[in-house]
Amino acid sequence: MKNRVLFQQEFEIQGGDFVNAGESSCKIRNTLREIGINSDIIRRIAIAAYEAEMNVVMYAQHGTMKINVYQDNILLIIDDKGPGIENIELAMKPGFSTATEEMREMGFGAGMGLPNIKKNSDVFQITSKVGQGTSLEIKILLNGKNG
Amino acid sequence: MAEQTYFHSIKVDKAKCIGCVTCMKVCPTKAIRVREQKAHINYERCIDCGECLRACPHSAIIPLTTLLSDLNRFKFKIALPSPVLYTQFGQQSMPSEILTVLKEIGFDHVYDEALVCEMMSVATEEYLDENRSPRPIISSICPVVVRLVQRLFPSLCGNILPLEPPREIAAKNLRSETAKQEELKAEEIGIIHITPCSAKMVSINHPESMAKSHLDGAISIREIYNKVMMKLKQEAGLLMMQTQTRISGVGIGWAFEGGEIRGLKYSNTVSVSGLLDTIRILEDVESGRLRNIEYLECLVCPDGCIGGPLTVENRFVAKSNVLRLLRHFGGKRRVNTELVQKLYKENFFSFAWAVEPKSFPPLDADRGVAIEKLKMKEELVGKLPGTDCGVCGAPDCQTLAEDIVRGEAKPEDCIYISRNESQGEKKWRKAR
Repeated sequence: MKNRVLFQQEFEIQGGDFVNAGESSCKIRNTLREIGINSDIIRRIAIAAYEAEMNVVMYAQHGTMKINVYQDNILLIIDDKGPGIENIELAMKPGFSTATEEMREMGFGAGMGLPNIKKNSDVFQITSKVGQGTSLEIKILLNGKNG
Repeated sequence: MAEQTYFHSIKVDKAKCIGCVTCMKVCPTKAIRVREQKAHINYERCIDCGECLRACPHSAIIPLTTLLSDLNRFKFKIALPSPVLYTQFGQQSMPSEILTVLKEIGFDHVYDEALVCEMMSVATEEYLDENRSPRPIISSICPVVVRLVQRLFPSLCGNILPLEPPREIAAKNLRSETAKQEELKAEEIGIIHITPCSAKMVSINHPESMAKSHLDGAISIREIYNKVMMKLKQEAGLLMMQTQTRISGVGIGWAFEGGEIRGLKYSNTVSVSGLLDTIRILEDVESGRLRNIEYLECLVCPDGCIGGPLTVENRFVAKSNVLRLLRHFGGKRRVNTELVQKLYKENFFSFAWAVEPKSFPPLDADRGVAIEKLKMKEELVGKLPGTDCGVCGAPDCQTLAEDIVRGEAKPEDCIYISRNESQGEKKWRKAR
Protein backbone atom coordinates (compact mmCIF):
# COMPACT_ATOMS: atom_id res chain seq x y z
CA MET A 1 0.00 0.00 0.00
CA LYS A 2 2.80 2.35 0.99
CA ASN A 3 4.64 1.90 -2.30
CA ARG A 4 1.65 2.55 -4.53
CA VAL A 5 2.15 5.39 -7.00
CA LEU A 6 -0.56 7.93 -6.19
CA PHE A 7 0.19 10.18 -9.11
CA GLN A 8 2.49 10.16 -12.08
CA GLN A 9 3.48 12.62 -14.76
CA GLU A 10 5.99 12.30 -17.57
CA PHE A 11 7.71 14.97 -19.65
CA GLU A 12 9.84 14.82 -22.77
CA ILE A 13 13.02 16.90 -22.80
CA GLN A 14 14.66 17.86 -26.09
CA GLY A 15 18.45 18.08 -26.03
CA GLY A 16 19.79 21.45 -27.18
CA ASP A 17 16.43 23.18 -26.78
CA PHE A 18 17.44 26.09 -24.57
CA VAL A 19 14.35 28.06 -25.58
CA ASN A 20 11.91 25.78 -23.78
CA ALA A 21 14.31 24.61 -21.10
CA GLY A 22 12.86 24.75 -17.61
CA GLU A 23 9.25 24.17 -18.68
CA SER A 24 8.98 20.67 -17.25
CA SER A 25 10.28 21.70 -13.85
CA CYS A 26 7.81 24.61 -13.87
CA LYS A 27 4.89 22.25 -14.57
CA ILE A 28 6.03 19.90 -11.82
CA ARG A 29 6.06 22.80 -9.39
CA ASN A 30 2.46 23.73 -10.24
CA THR A 31 1.29 20.15 -9.87
CA LEU A 32 2.86 19.82 -6.44
CA ARG A 33 1.22 23.05 -5.30
CA GLU A 34 -2.19 21.81 -6.35
CA ILE A 35 -1.84 18.67 -4.25
CA GLY A 36 -0.70 20.67 -1.25
CA ILE A 37 3.00 19.77 -0.91
CA ASN A 38 4.88 22.02 1.54
CA SER A 39 6.60 24.96 -0.16
CA ASP A 40 10.10 24.15 1.10
CA ILE A 41 9.88 20.65 -0.33
CA ILE A 42 8.54 22.07 -3.60
CA ARG A 43 11.54 24.34 -3.75
CA ARG A 44 14.00 21.46 -3.30
CA ILE A 45 12.21 19.45 -5.98
CA ALA A 46 12.07 22.47 -8.29
CA ILE A 47 15.82 23.05 -7.98
CA ALA A 48 16.67 19.36 -8.50
CA ALA A 49 14.27 19.06 -11.44
CA TYR A 50 15.57 22.22 -13.07
CA GLU A 51 19.23 21.20 -12.78
CA ALA A 52 18.46 17.72 -14.09
CA GLU A 53 16.42 19.14 -16.96
CA MET A 54 19.24 21.53 -17.87
CA ASN A 55 21.76 18.67 -17.88
CA VAL A 56 19.66 16.87 -20.49
CA VAL A 57 19.25 20.06 -22.55
CA MET A 58 22.98 20.80 -22.41
CA TYR A 59 24.53 17.39 -22.97
CA ALA A 60 22.03 14.84 -24.31
CA GLN A 61 20.00 14.37 -27.50
CA HIS A 62 16.80 13.50 -25.73
CA GLY A 63 15.45 12.61 -22.31
CA THR A 64 12.40 12.01 -20.17
CA MET A 65 11.57 13.23 -16.69
CA LYS A 66 9.08 11.24 -14.65
CA ILE A 67 7.61 12.30 -11.36
CA ASN A 68 6.00 9.74 -9.08
CA VAL A 69 4.14 10.82 -5.99
CA TYR A 70 3.98 8.23 -3.20
CA GLN A 71 2.40 8.40 0.23
CA ASP A 72 5.68 9.27 1.94
CA ASN A 73 8.01 10.44 -0.82
CA ILE A 74 8.36 11.96 -4.25
CA LEU A 75 10.55 10.30 -6.82
CA LEU A 76 11.99 12.05 -9.87
CA ILE A 77 13.44 9.81 -12.57
CA ILE A 78 15.41 11.37 -15.40
CA ASP A 79 16.66 9.16 -18.22
CA ASP A 80 18.56 10.51 -21.19
CA LYS A 81 20.07 9.30 -24.41
CA GLY A 82 23.38 11.08 -24.45
CA PRO A 83 27.12 10.79 -24.15
CA GLY A 84 27.03 9.36 -20.63
CA ILE A 85 29.44 10.27 -17.86
CA GLU A 86 32.93 8.78 -17.90
CA ASN A 87 33.85 9.43 -14.31
CA ILE A 88 30.83 9.87 -12.04
CA GLU A 89 32.94 10.61 -8.98
CA LEU A 90 34.59 13.50 -10.79
CA ALA A 91 31.23 14.76 -12.16
CA MET A 92 29.88 14.91 -8.61
CA LYS A 93 32.68 17.22 -7.51
CA PRO A 94 31.53 20.82 -7.09
CA GLY A 95 33.00 23.01 -9.81
CA PHE A 96 33.81 20.20 -12.22
CA SER A 97 32.21 20.75 -15.63
CA THR A 98 32.60 19.60 -19.20
CA ALA A 99 30.49 22.48 -20.52
CA THR A 100 31.67 24.22 -23.69
CA GLU A 101 32.73 27.86 -23.85
CA GLU A 102 29.37 28.77 -25.43
CA MET A 103 27.42 27.20 -22.57
CA ARG A 104 29.52 29.03 -20.03
CA GLU A 105 28.88 32.26 -21.94
CA MET A 106 25.18 31.60 -21.44
CA GLY A 107 25.72 31.23 -17.71
CA PHE A 108 25.54 27.44 -17.57
CA GLY A 109 28.19 24.86 -16.73
CA ALA A 110 29.35 26.15 -13.36
CA GLY A 111 29.90 22.56 -12.32
CA MET A 112 27.23 22.76 -9.64
CA GLY A 113 24.45 20.79 -11.36
CA LEU A 114 24.91 17.29 -9.96
CA PRO A 115 26.23 18.42 -6.55
CA ASN A 116 23.21 20.66 -6.24
CA ILE A 117 20.78 17.88 -7.14
CA LYS A 118 22.41 15.67 -4.51
CA LYS A 119 22.24 18.44 -1.92
CA ASN A 120 18.51 18.84 -2.45
CA SER A 121 17.58 15.15 -2.44
CA ASP A 122 17.23 12.68 0.41
CA VAL A 123 18.25 9.71 -1.71
CA PHE A 124 20.21 10.21 -4.92
CA GLN A 125 21.25 7.57 -7.42
CA ILE A 126 23.11 8.02 -10.65
CA THR A 127 23.97 5.40 -13.25
CA SER A 128 25.57 6.08 -16.59
CA LYS A 129 26.89 4.22 -19.63
CA VAL A 130 29.34 6.02 -21.86
CA GLY A 131 27.91 6.42 -25.34
CA GLN A 132 24.40 5.47 -24.21
CA GLY A 133 23.09 7.79 -21.55
CA THR A 134 22.60 8.71 -17.93
CA SER A 135 19.86 7.93 -15.45
CA LEU A 136 19.10 9.83 -12.24
CA GLU A 137 16.82 8.88 -9.38
CA ILE A 138 16.04 11.64 -6.96
CA LYS A 139 13.97 10.84 -3.91
CA ILE A 140 12.62 13.47 -1.56
CA LEU A 141 10.87 12.32 1.60
CA LEU A 142 7.57 13.77 2.71
CA ASN A 143 7.37 13.84 6.44
CA GLY A 144 4.19 14.21 8.40
CA LYS A 145 0.87 15.48 7.22
CA ASN A 146 1.99 18.64 5.47
CA GLY A 147 5.27 17.37 4.05
CA MET B 1 -16.13 36.93 4.36
CA ALA B 2 -12.55 37.65 3.41
CA GLU B 3 -13.60 41.12 2.32
CA GLN B 4 -14.06 42.17 5.91
CA THR B 5 -10.98 40.54 7.42
CA TYR B 6 -8.51 41.62 4.75
CA PHE B 7 -8.53 45.12 3.39
CA HIS B 8 -8.07 45.50 -0.34
CA SER B 9 -7.37 48.59 -2.36
CA ILE B 10 -9.62 47.93 -5.34
CA LYS B 11 -13.26 47.09 -5.80
CA VAL B 12 -15.70 46.55 -8.62
CA ASP B 13 -18.29 49.25 -9.26
CA LYS B 14 -21.24 46.97 -9.99
CA ALA B 15 -23.15 49.78 -11.68
CA LYS B 16 -20.43 50.41 -14.24
CA CYS B 17 -19.30 46.81 -14.78
CA ILE B 18 -20.84 45.29 -17.90
CA GLY B 19 -19.35 41.83 -17.38
CA CYS B 20 -16.82 41.85 -20.21
CA VAL B 21 -13.82 39.62 -19.56
CA THR B 22 -11.00 42.18 -19.85
CA CYS B 23 -10.05 42.38 -16.16
CA MET B 24 -10.41 38.64 -15.65
CA LYS B 25 -7.98 37.99 -18.49
CA VAL B 26 -5.19 40.23 -17.16
CA CYS B 27 -5.34 39.11 -13.52
CA PRO B 28 -2.02 37.37 -12.74
CA THR B 29 -3.36 35.33 -9.82
CA LYS B 30 -6.64 34.40 -11.53
CA ALA B 31 -8.61 36.09 -8.78
CA ILE B 32 -11.47 37.38 -10.96
CA ARG B 33 -14.55 35.53 -12.20
CA VAL B 34 -17.47 36.95 -14.14
CA ARG B 35 -20.77 35.77 -12.71
CA GLU B 36 -24.18 37.09 -13.78
CA GLN B 37 -22.51 39.70 -15.96
CA LYS B 38 -20.45 41.25 -13.18
CA ALA B 39 -16.82 40.84 -12.26
CA HIS B 40 -16.15 39.39 -8.80
CA ILE B 41 -12.77 39.61 -7.11
CA ASN B 42 -11.73 36.70 -4.92
CA TYR B 43 -9.93 38.65 -2.23
CA GLU B 44 -8.07 35.58 -0.97
CA ARG B 45 -6.20 35.48 -4.26
CA CYS B 46 -5.95 39.22 -5.03
CA ILE B 47 -2.50 40.80 -4.58
CA ASP B 48 -3.64 44.38 -5.34
CA CYS B 49 -1.40 44.76 -8.38
CA GLY B 50 -3.90 47.04 -10.13
CA GLU B 51 -3.70 45.30 -13.52
CA CYS B 52 -7.51 45.10 -13.63
CA LEU B 53 -7.76 48.80 -12.80
CA ARG B 54 -5.41 49.57 -15.66
CA ALA B 55 -7.20 47.31 -18.13
CA CYS B 56 -10.88 48.01 -17.46
CA PRO B 57 -12.40 49.83 -20.47
CA HIS B 58 -15.40 50.99 -18.43
CA SER B 59 -13.64 52.49 -15.39
CA ALA B 60 -15.51 49.96 -13.30
CA ILE B 61 -12.58 49.05 -11.06
CA ILE B 62 -12.23 51.68 -8.37
CA PRO B 63 -9.08 52.34 -6.33
CA LEU B 64 -9.81 52.76 -2.63
CA THR B 65 -7.21 55.37 -1.71
CA THR B 66 -7.45 58.18 0.85
CA LEU B 67 -9.32 61.33 -0.23
CA LEU B 68 -8.24 64.91 0.45
CA SER B 69 -11.47 65.33 2.44
CA ASP B 70 -10.36 62.52 4.79
CA LEU B 71 -7.52 64.72 6.05
CA ASN B 72 -9.78 66.79 8.30
CA ARG B 73 -9.65 64.24 11.09
CA PHE B 74 -6.03 65.16 11.76
CA LYS B 75 -4.83 68.25 13.57
CA PHE B 76 -1.47 68.30 11.79
CA LYS B 77 -1.14 66.90 8.28
CA ILE B 78 2.14 65.84 6.69
CA ALA B 79 2.56 64.98 3.01
CA LEU B 80 5.13 62.34 2.19
CA PRO B 81 5.15 62.18 -1.61
CA SER B 82 6.62 59.33 -3.61
CA PRO B 83 9.47 60.71 -5.78
CA VAL B 84 7.17 59.89 -8.73
CA LEU B 85 5.22 63.07 -7.94
CA TYR B 86 8.18 65.19 -9.07
CA THR B 87 7.99 63.67 -12.56
CA GLN B 88 4.34 64.52 -13.20
CA PHE B 89 4.27 68.27 -13.88
CA GLY B 90 6.44 68.85 -16.91
CA GLN B 91 10.01 70.03 -17.27
CA GLN B 92 9.64 73.40 -15.60
CA SER B 93 8.45 72.34 -12.15
CA MET B 94 11.15 71.64 -9.57
CA PRO B 95 10.61 69.34 -6.55
CA SER B 96 10.86 72.26 -4.11
CA GLU B 97 8.04 74.06 -5.94
CA ILE B 98 5.84 70.97 -5.91
CA LEU B 99 6.45 70.50 -2.17
CA THR B 100 5.56 74.16 -1.55
CA VAL B 101 2.30 73.77 -3.43
CA LEU B 102 1.38 70.75 -1.30
CA LYS B 103 1.44 73.08 1.69
CA GLU B 104 -1.05 75.32 -0.08
CA ILE B 105 -3.59 72.58 -0.76
CA GLY B 106 -4.07 71.43 2.82
CA PHE B 107 -0.88 70.03 4.29
CA ASP B 108 0.91 71.63 7.24
CA HIS B 109 4.24 70.07 6.48
CA VAL B 110 5.96 68.22 3.64
CA TYR B 111 8.88 65.84 3.62
CA ASP B 112 11.01 64.54 0.76
CA GLU B 113 10.81 60.74 0.87
CA ALA B 114 13.73 60.61 -1.54
CA LEU B 115 16.10 61.53 1.33
CA VAL B 116 15.18 58.33 3.14
CA CYS B 117 15.91 56.32 -0.01
CA GLU B 118 19.59 57.22 0.50
CA MET B 119 19.44 55.86 4.04
CA MET B 120 17.85 52.67 2.75
CA SER B 121 20.71 52.15 0.28
CA VAL B 122 23.17 52.16 3.18
CA ALA B 123 20.95 49.92 5.33
CA THR B 124 20.49 47.46 2.44
CA GLU B 125 24.27 47.22 1.99
CA GLU B 126 24.66 46.55 5.71
CA TYR B 127 22.10 43.75 5.49
CA LEU B 128 23.73 42.19 2.42
CA ASP B 129 27.18 42.35 4.06
CA GLU B 130 25.95 40.75 7.27
CA ASN B 131 23.80 38.02 5.71
CA ARG B 132 25.62 36.05 3.01
CA SER B 133 22.72 33.72 2.22
CA PRO B 134 20.14 33.18 0.81
CA ARG B 135 20.62 34.82 -2.56
CA PRO B 136 19.29 36.81 -4.25
CA ILE B 137 17.74 39.09 -1.66
CA ILE B 138 14.48 40.44 -3.09
CA SER B 139 13.48 44.08 -2.57
CA SER B 140 10.53 44.72 -0.26
CA ILE B 141 9.75 48.19 -1.67
CA CYS B 142 6.80 47.16 -3.81
CA PRO B 143 3.96 45.82 -1.63
CA VAL B 144 2.64 43.81 -4.56
CA VAL B 145 5.94 41.94 -4.92
CA VAL B 146 5.81 40.99 -1.23
CA ARG B 147 2.27 39.66 -1.65
CA LEU B 148 3.14 37.93 -4.91
CA VAL B 149 6.03 36.10 -3.22
CA GLN B 150 3.82 35.09 -0.28
CA ARG B 151 1.18 33.61 -2.55
CA LEU B 152 2.89 32.35 -5.71
CA PHE B 153 6.47 31.84 -4.49
CA PRO B 154 6.04 31.03 -0.78
CA SER B 155 9.42 29.28 -0.56
CA LEU B 156 11.09 32.64 -1.35
CA CYS B 157 9.69 34.47 1.69
CA GLY B 158 13.11 34.13 3.33
CA ASN B 159 14.69 36.02 0.42
CA ILE B 160 12.65 39.18 1.02
CA LEU B 161 14.73 42.08 2.37
CA PRO B 162 13.45 42.36 5.97
CA LEU B 163 13.72 46.17 6.07
CA GLU B 164 10.77 48.55 5.90
CA PRO B 165 10.52 50.68 2.72
CA PRO B 166 11.47 54.41 2.72
CA ARG B 167 7.86 55.60 3.09
CA GLU B 168 7.47 53.70 6.38
CA ILE B 169 10.87 54.70 7.74
CA ALA B 170 10.23 58.35 6.87
CA ALA B 171 6.82 58.26 8.56
CA LYS B 172 8.21 56.56 11.67
CA ASN B 173 10.81 59.29 12.08
CA LEU B 174 8.44 62.13 11.20
CA ARG B 175 5.84 61.17 13.78
CA SER B 176 8.20 61.24 16.74
CA GLU B 177 10.03 64.37 15.54
CA THR B 178 6.83 66.28 14.76
CA ALA B 179 5.17 65.32 18.03
CA LYS B 180 8.15 66.83 19.87
CA GLN B 181 8.48 69.96 17.73
CA GLU B 182 4.80 70.84 17.48
CA GLU B 183 3.88 69.57 20.94
CA LEU B 184 1.24 67.22 19.59
CA LYS B 185 0.04 63.75 20.49
CA ALA B 186 1.20 61.12 18.02
CA GLU B 187 -2.40 60.37 16.97
CA GLU B 188 -3.13 64.01 16.13
CA ILE B 189 -0.59 63.84 13.32
CA GLY B 190 -1.71 62.51 9.95
CA ILE B 191 1.15 61.28 7.76
CA ILE B 192 -0.09 60.74 4.24
CA HIS B 193 1.85 59.11 1.44
CA ILE B 194 1.22 60.49 -2.03
CA THR B 195 1.13 57.42 -4.18
CA PRO B 196 1.27 56.31 -7.82
CA CYS B 197 -0.61 53.06 -7.01
CA SER B 198 -3.39 51.79 -4.79
CA ALA B 199 -1.31 48.89 -3.44
CA LYS B 200 0.24 51.15 -0.80
CA MET B 201 -3.18 51.33 0.85
CA VAL B 202 -3.02 47.59 1.47
CA SER B 203 0.41 47.78 3.04
CA ILE B 204 -0.88 50.61 5.23
CA ASN B 205 -4.12 48.94 6.29
CA HIS B 206 -2.81 45.41 6.38
CA PRO B 207 0.98 45.38 6.79
CA GLU B 208 2.70 42.00 6.46
CA SER B 209 5.74 42.72 8.62
CA MET B 210 4.46 44.77 11.58
CA ALA B 211 1.35 45.33 13.68
CA LYS B 212 0.56 48.85 12.50
CA SER B 213 1.81 50.98 9.62
CA HIS B 214 3.49 54.31 10.44
CA LEU B 215 1.42 55.95 7.70
CA ASP B 216 -2.18 57.10 8.10
CA GLY B 217 -3.21 56.87 4.48
CA ALA B 218 -2.24 57.24 0.86
CA ILE B 219 -3.64 59.84 -1.50
CA SER B 220 -3.31 59.08 -5.19
CA ILE B 221 -1.40 61.40 -7.51
CA ARG B 222 -4.60 61.58 -9.57
CA GLU B 223 -6.57 62.90 -6.60
CA ILE B 224 -4.33 65.94 -6.09
CA TYR B 225 -3.08 66.43 -9.65
CA ASN B 226 -5.46 69.16 -10.84
CA LYS B 227 -5.09 71.24 -7.68
CA VAL B 228 -1.30 71.06 -7.75
CA MET B 229 -1.16 71.80 -11.48
CA MET B 230 -3.38 74.90 -11.10
CA LYS B 231 -1.27 76.30 -8.28
CA LEU B 232 1.95 75.65 -10.18
CA LYS B 233 0.58 77.55 -13.15
CA GLN B 234 -0.77 80.46 -11.09
CA GLU B 235 2.36 80.92 -9.03
CA ALA B 236 5.04 80.12 -11.57
CA GLY B 237 8.25 81.90 -10.64
CA LEU B 238 7.13 82.83 -7.13
CA LEU B 239 7.61 79.45 -5.57
CA MET B 240 11.29 78.72 -5.87
CA MET B 241 12.62 79.90 -2.56
CA GLN B 242 9.73 79.10 -0.24
CA THR B 243 10.42 75.53 0.86
CA GLN B 244 13.94 74.89 1.94
CA THR B 245 13.78 71.15 1.76
CA ARG B 246 16.82 69.13 0.91
CA ILE B 247 16.23 67.00 -2.16
CA SER B 248 18.06 63.78 -2.91
CA GLY B 249 19.08 62.88 -6.46
CA VAL B 250 19.70 59.27 -5.44
CA GLY B 251 16.18 59.04 -4.05
CA ILE B 252 14.51 60.65 -7.06
CA GLY B 253 16.07 57.85 -9.11
CA TRP B 254 13.93 55.35 -7.17
CA ALA B 255 10.92 56.59 -9.14
CA PHE B 256 11.82 54.24 -11.97
CA GLU B 257 13.21 50.79 -12.46
CA GLY B 258 16.80 50.31 -11.34
CA GLY B 259 16.75 53.17 -8.84
CA GLU B 260 17.37 50.92 -5.91
CA ILE B 261 20.22 48.91 -7.41
CA ARG B 262 21.91 51.97 -8.93
CA GLY B 263 22.51 53.22 -5.40
CA LEU B 264 24.14 49.99 -4.18
CA LYS B 265 27.86 49.26 -4.12
CA TYR B 266 27.27 45.76 -5.54
CA SER B 267 27.35 45.29 -9.30
CA ASN B 268 25.84 41.78 -9.58
CA THR B 269 22.31 43.01 -9.11
CA VAL B 270 19.24 42.75 -11.33
CA SER B 271 16.23 45.03 -11.70
CA VAL B 272 12.94 44.00 -13.27
CA SER B 273 9.73 45.90 -13.87
CA GLY B 274 6.29 44.86 -15.06
CA LEU B 275 4.16 42.11 -13.60
CA LEU B 276 4.78 39.32 -16.10
CA ASP B 277 8.54 39.84 -16.08
CA THR B 278 8.51 39.90 -12.28
CA ILE B 279 6.70 36.56 -12.21
CA ARG B 280 9.16 35.12 -14.75
CA ILE B 281 12.22 36.17 -12.81
CA LEU B 282 10.78 34.88 -9.54
CA GLU B 283 10.26 31.52 -11.28
CA ASP B 284 13.95 31.59 -12.17
CA VAL B 285 14.88 32.43 -8.60
CA GLU B 286 12.79 29.51 -7.35
CA SER B 287 14.62 27.16 -9.73
CA GLY B 288 17.89 28.35 -8.24
CA ARG B 289 19.00 30.08 -11.44
CA LEU B 290 19.94 33.42 -9.89
CA ARG B 291 22.04 32.24 -6.97
CA ASN B 292 24.96 34.41 -8.11
CA ILE B 293 22.88 37.59 -7.94
CA GLU B 294 23.16 39.60 -4.73
CA TYR B 295 20.06 41.73 -4.99
CA LEU B 296 16.92 41.63 -7.09
CA GLU B 297 14.80 44.74 -7.45
CA CYS B 298 11.28 43.94 -8.68
CA LEU B 299 8.59 46.52 -9.34
CA VAL B 300 5.33 45.27 -10.81
CA CYS B 301 4.40 48.43 -12.71
CA PRO B 302 5.93 48.92 -16.16
CA ASP B 303 9.22 50.87 -15.84
CA GLY B 304 8.71 50.96 -12.07
CA CYS B 305 6.63 53.35 -9.97
CA ILE B 306 6.39 55.98 -12.74
CA GLY B 307 4.21 53.40 -14.51
CA GLY B 308 1.80 53.21 -11.56
CA PRO B 309 -1.91 53.04 -12.46
CA LEU B 310 -2.75 56.19 -10.45
CA THR B 311 -0.21 58.48 -12.14
CA VAL B 312 -1.24 61.08 -14.71
CA GLU B 313 1.82 61.78 -16.86
CA ASN B 314 2.73 59.38 -19.66
CA ARG B 315 5.42 57.16 -18.16
CA PHE B 316 7.94 57.78 -20.92
CA VAL B 317 7.70 61.52 -20.43
CA ALA B 318 7.90 60.95 -16.68
CA LYS B 319 11.09 58.96 -17.20
CA SER B 320 12.59 61.76 -19.22
CA ASN B 321 11.72 64.11 -16.37
CA VAL B 322 13.43 61.86 -13.81
CA LEU B 323 16.58 61.72 -15.88
CA ARG B 324 16.64 65.51 -16.09
CA LEU B 325 16.21 65.79 -12.31
CA LEU B 326 18.98 63.24 -11.80
CA ARG B 327 21.32 65.39 -13.87
CA HIS B 328 20.33 68.42 -11.84
CA PHE B 329 20.70 66.93 -8.34
CA GLY B 330 23.47 64.45 -9.06
CA GLY B 331 23.54 60.81 -8.09
CA LYS B 332 25.90 61.08 -5.15
CA ARG B 333 24.88 59.89 -1.71
CA ARG B 334 25.06 62.63 0.91
CA VAL B 335 23.57 60.80 3.83
CA ASN B 336 25.57 60.33 7.05
CA THR B 337 26.69 56.70 6.59
CA GLU B 338 27.82 56.21 10.18
CA LEU B 339 24.51 57.42 11.57
CA VAL B 340 22.60 55.04 9.31
CA GLN B 341 24.88 52.15 10.33
CA LYS B 342 24.17 52.95 13.97
CA LEU B 343 20.40 53.05 13.33
CA TYR B 344 20.68 49.78 11.42
CA LYS B 345 22.34 48.11 14.42
CA GLU B 346 19.49 49.38 16.60
CA ASN B 347 17.05 47.64 14.18
CA PHE B 348 15.47 50.98 13.30
CA PHE B 349 14.78 49.75 9.75
CA SER B 350 13.94 46.12 10.51
CA PHE B 351 10.66 44.30 9.99
CA ALA B 352 8.96 43.54 13.30
CA TRP B 353 8.47 39.98 12.02
CA ALA B 354 9.33 37.97 8.94
CA VAL B 355 6.93 37.84 6.00
CA GLU B 356 4.98 34.56 6.18
CA PRO B 357 4.04 32.34 3.23
CA LYS B 358 0.37 32.51 2.21
CA SER B 359 0.10 29.74 -0.35
CA PHE B 360 -3.14 29.28 -2.25
CA PRO B 361 -5.11 26.31 -0.90
CA PRO B 362 -4.48 22.96 -2.66
CA LEU B 363 -7.31 21.29 -4.59
CA ASP B 364 -8.23 19.55 -1.33
CA ALA B 365 -6.92 19.52 2.22
CA ASP B 366 -6.56 15.74 2.06
CA ARG B 367 -3.67 14.82 -0.24
CA GLY B 368 -5.34 11.66 -1.54
CA VAL B 369 -8.47 13.60 -2.48
CA ALA B 370 -6.36 16.42 -3.96
CA ILE B 371 -4.62 13.90 -6.22
CA GLU B 372 -7.97 12.47 -7.34
CA LYS B 373 -9.19 16.00 -8.08
CA LEU B 374 -6.00 16.74 -10.01
CA LYS B 375 -6.63 13.68 -12.19
CA MET B 376 -10.24 14.78 -12.71
CA LYS B 377 -9.00 18.23 -13.60
CA GLU B 378 -6.58 16.89 -16.21
CA GLU B 379 -9.35 14.79 -17.72
CA LEU B 380 -11.60 17.85 -17.88
CA VAL B 381 -8.89 19.96 -19.52
CA GLY B 382 -8.81 17.35 -22.30
CA LYS B 383 -12.54 17.82 -22.86
CA LEU B 384 -12.58 21.60 -22.81
CA PRO B 385 -11.86 23.37 -26.10
CA GLY B 386 -8.64 25.09 -25.00
CA THR B 387 -9.66 28.36 -26.62
CA ASP B 388 -9.60 30.27 -23.30
CA CYS B 389 -12.52 32.40 -24.45
CA GLY B 390 -13.67 33.37 -20.96
CA VAL B 391 -17.38 33.10 -21.73
CA CYS B 392 -17.80 30.58 -18.88
CA GLY B 393 -16.72 33.28 -16.43
CA ALA B 394 -13.28 31.81 -15.72
CA PRO B 395 -10.14 33.28 -17.31
CA ASP B 396 -9.12 30.11 -19.19
CA CYS B 397 -10.01 26.45 -19.65
CA GLN B 398 -7.43 25.27 -17.07
CA THR B 399 -8.96 27.50 -14.44
CA LEU B 400 -12.52 26.44 -15.31
CA ALA B 401 -11.42 22.82 -14.86
CA GLU B 402 -9.97 23.75 -11.50
CA ASP B 403 -13.15 25.58 -10.48
CA ILE B 404 -15.22 22.53 -11.49
CA VAL B 405 -13.21 20.08 -9.36
CA ARG B 406 -13.36 22.54 -6.48
CA GLY B 407 -17.15 22.54 -6.86
CA GLU B 408 -17.34 26.22 -7.83
CA ALA B 409 -18.42 25.78 -11.47
CA LYS B 410 -20.14 23.23 -13.70
CA PRO B 411 -18.97 21.67 -17.01
CA GLU B 412 -22.07 23.18 -18.67
CA ASP B 413 -20.71 26.66 -17.94
CA CYS B 414 -18.53 26.04 -21.01
CA ILE B 415 -20.54 27.05 -24.08
CA TYR B 416 -18.77 24.44 -26.20
CA ILE B 417 -19.88 21.72 -23.84
CA SER B 418 -23.44 22.99 -23.38
CA ARG B 419 -23.84 23.50 -27.12
CA ASN B 420 -22.56 20.05 -27.89
CA GLU B 421 -24.94 18.49 -25.48
CA SER B 422 -27.68 19.68 -27.78
CA GLN B 423 -25.89 19.36 -31.14
CA GLY B 424 -23.71 16.30 -30.68
CA GLU B 425 -20.12 16.26 -29.63
CA LYS B 426 -18.56 15.06 -32.87
CA LYS B 427 -19.34 18.10 -34.91
CA TRP B 428 -17.19 20.59 -33.04
CA ARG B 429 -14.39 18.13 -32.44
CA LYS B 430 -14.14 17.80 -36.21
CA ALA B 431 -14.27 21.53 -36.71
CA ARG B 432 -11.22 22.07 -34.49
